[in-house]
Amino acid sequence: MSAGLVSVLFVAVALVAVGAFIASWKKDLTAALAGLPLMFGGAGVAFAGAARFATPGGPPAFGQEVAALVAVAALALVALGVGIAGRGTSR
Amino acid sequence: MDSLHTIGFYVSAAVSLGGGLLVAFLPGRGPRGIALAAAGAGIAGLYVSLSAGFSGLVALVCFAGCALLLAAPTYRVMDITVAGAWRQLGALAAGGLLSVLCFAAWRGDFVHATFYGGAINSASVGRLLFAHDALATEAVGALVLVALVGATAAWRQRDRGR
Repeated sequence: MSAGLVSVLFVAVALVAVGAFIASWKKDLTAALAGLPLMFGGAGVAFAGAARFATPGGPPAFGQEVAALVAVAALALVALGVGIAGRGTSR
Repeated sequence: MDSLHTIGFYVSAAVSLGGGLLVAFLPGRGPRGIALAAAGAGIAGLYVSLSAGFSGLVALVCFAGCALLLAAPTYRVMDITVAGAWRQLGALAAGGLLSVLCFAAWRGDFVHATFYGGAINSASVGRLLFAHDALATEAVGALVLVALVGATAAWRQRDRGR
């Protein structure tokens, strides 16, 4: 049994859905921020899978480049969110 | 994809999804941070099994940073004032999103191509980042700068308020 593009997309979809679930389910906004990197990671996995399995003509590393960029963007957004939430109460 | 990469792909998928679910249900910032780091390790493993080793390394570092931010002692709680019904509706919408995207992935008609890249591809990704798509790299760099400046400003304002 070999993994193909559909398997990769299923895993990516599941990661995005888990991230969306965390973002909507958590009462604490700072904890809900943990859903962001998972959603972005799911998008990156979909890009990397498309680059691996379905890029006949274009540069094959394009999806990998997008995956790296969304990971950095997720870190930046979490840092901003944690910084803003720093005005809340300690627990 | 050979059998070794296939096994790595499915194991990494299980680790990343299990870590994500643990982030959703574990109480306390420490265990949640560890679970997020485990999910990041799983996602990095997914990248490696997809011959995207450089992206995997970047994702591993970024997820470790996210986990440290969310598990640090400086963690502060900010409660949402949204009612529980809306949160439940959001969770149901996440399930609906999963169903719709799964259907799209299942019914999609995709091109099959042979992959000629290497296992890590740092050189080709670097060429794309700094030559072909330099504007996108600069945009993400600007986003990081704005986020760090905003976070620093928020922290300084909080410290002044004490």
